Amino acid sequence: MMAVLELHQVKKSYGSGHTKVDALKETNFLADRGELIAIIGPSGSGKSTFLTIVGGLLSPTSGDVIINRQNLTDLNEKTRSQIRLKEIGFVLQASNLVPFLTVANQLKLLDKVKKGNISKSERNQLNEDLGIADLLMKYPSDLSGGQRQRVAIAKALYSNPSIILADEPTASLDSDRAYEVMELLQKVTKQKKTTTIVVTHDIRLVDFCDKVYKMTDGVLLALEKQDEKEINHIPQ
Amino acid sequence: MFLAWQEIKKNKLRFTLITGILMLVSFLVFFLSGLATGLADLNREAVDKWEASAIILTEESDKSLYQSFMSTDQLKDVEAEKTAVLGQLNAIATNGDNKKNISLFGINKEEFLLPNVTEGKAFEKANEVVADDSLKDEGFDLGDTLSLSSSDQQLTIVGFTEQARFNAAPVLYASLETFHLVKFGEVADQKKDQINGIVVQDDSISNLTQNEELKAIEIESFIESLPGYTEQKLTLNFMIYFLFGISSIIVAFFLYVLTVQKISMFGVMKAQGISSSYLSRSVVAQTFILSFIGTVIGFALTLISGAFLPAAIPVSFDLTSMMLYGIILIIVAMVGAVFSVLTIVRIDPLKAIGG
Ligand SMILES: Nc1ncnc2c1ncn2[C@@H]1O[C@H](COP(=O)(O)OP(=O)(O)OP(=O)(O)O)[C@@H](O)[C@H]1O
Ligand SMILES: [Mg+2]
Repeated sequence: MMAVLELHQVKKSYGSGHTKVDALKETNFLADRGELIAIIGPSGSGKSTFLTIVGGLLSPTSGDVIINRQNLTDLNEKTRSQIRLKEIGFVLQASNLVPFLTVANQLKLLDKVKKGNISKSERNQLNEDLGIADLLMKYPSDLSGGQRQRVAIAKALYSNPSIILADEPTASLDSDRAYEVMELLQKVTKQKKTTTIVVTHDIRLVDFCDKVYKMTDGVLLALEKQDEKEINHIPQ
Repeated sequence: MFLAWQEIKKNKLRFTLITGILMLVSFLVFFLSGLATGLADLNREAVDKWEASAIILTEESDKSLYQSFMSTDQLKDVEAEKTAVLGQLNAIATNGDNKKNISLFGINKEEFLLPNVTEGKAFEKANEVVADDSLKDEGFDLGDTLSLSSSDQQLTIVGFTEQARFNAAPVLYASLETFHLVKFGEVADQKKDQINGIVVQDDSISNLTQNEELKAIEIESFIESLPGYTEQKLTLNFMIYFLFGISSIIVAFFLYVLTVQKISMFGVMKAQGISSSYLSRSVVAQTFILSFIGTVIGFALTLISGAFLPAAIPVSFDLTSMMLYGIILIIVAMVGAVFSVLTIVRIDPLKAIGG
């Protein structure tokens, strides 16, 4: 099977001279369709750096990021932005919904900038699945944290992306809501055969994932799922 | 437009305030332009009525009708399709109760300077005059006898005409004979060929005269040389241009503040792949909607308040120039959106999702 996402010897350093930070050391990484991947690790270890490089928002200092056979490093910002629109769904913190748009209009906006990726019935199904069908006329300020996050996931899925990137998607939620969101991501990943990468501090969420990576000081290391002990030793 | 309009709908108060400010600025611009037109009319109405292309004055008069002294003999030095002689003087007229600065035009009844008489009749005998009907608002009437400050002659108003003010003074039209009587009194007979200028209607304004002592002056240039006219116009135009600048700064400022508040939101949208140009277009569309609504309301407000103004305030609304100013206002407001556009373009989507 062809990997959806490949990183070859990707490195990222910030600054130069004695202030230089190697946020991401040389990293190779592969991900397939239908995989839900967790990345855990202490604060400042380079998780967000990794995720933003994968999402084409940040250019690596060296190395190649290949999404569906397109090498991001070869592309200009405009094309990269189109790839973000088509191939990548970001799930961010709840506060990142557009405050002055109703749920329905949040989705409509995506429709306007990127037309017809999924059919109307698929869309309605998606709204049902995510449990937001009844919320369509509401503004973000009238939603609960969990509801907002579900809308955020709906937005990420709306353009039928092949990759979903979530940076701390459950940060603002209590455990029950957090599990709900993870179940949802799991369901979507399996149903839509997306590649989903979730960055999290919360090791309990790891149970939902197929693969777990640990980031320490810019080094990405695959963990065996059964290696619970290792996982449990991750500093918070 | 979608994003722009949805935001306006959700944040009505905020956008009503901006629209309100734009409305007041446009009201002021329209009103000043009305005042500029009104004041200009005050000076030039009577001249516009001539529908003339040029006026011949003496070289040494420096474009001042009042300083130009010539004789009807010089008519033969002027070659034009149509000519009309003109004598002019300023005086203060009183009918006993009311006093007013007037401008007396001495003309030949057969020539084209004779205005349309809208009330009463044209002058026939000596000392009969047709007056500008703005004098009616000052308490003058048909049949009134007028005494003049500079003369013993008594004039009688036999008719009225509309919109005939010259350099802000209502015009009294009379025969050349009356004019000479008023100007020269007892010696009028010896001076009966004295005039101030010759008004010309002709397609071309070059080669109207070969006489070195005379000079043909284009009507527009003649008007601009009327005392105070250009200064007044410049002052008001300066105020209008200044307002354009102010409105652009106000819009720029408000939009910029609104945009800065939304930086993280725009960042998220950009991270999702929505282009800077889509977001920028939305801000520009928003500016257009706001400034359009503000300008239209300002326009309406100007016309409404214009209808209730006392006649003493010389406003007159010229729709074409108001339209033009309205369009300039909208464009200027959109220029004010440039800062916001620059801000949006510079937003790094990374900042919005990093952390
Ligand atoms: N723009 C930047 N300029 C300089 N250094 C940066 C920048 N962004 C991140 N870093 C550094 O790179 C390292 C990795 O940061 P990163 O944000 O990837 O950590 P993280 O694992 O996401 O942390 P957290 O769990 O707290 O979100 C940190 O040492 C951080 O200080
Ligand atoms: Mg982070």
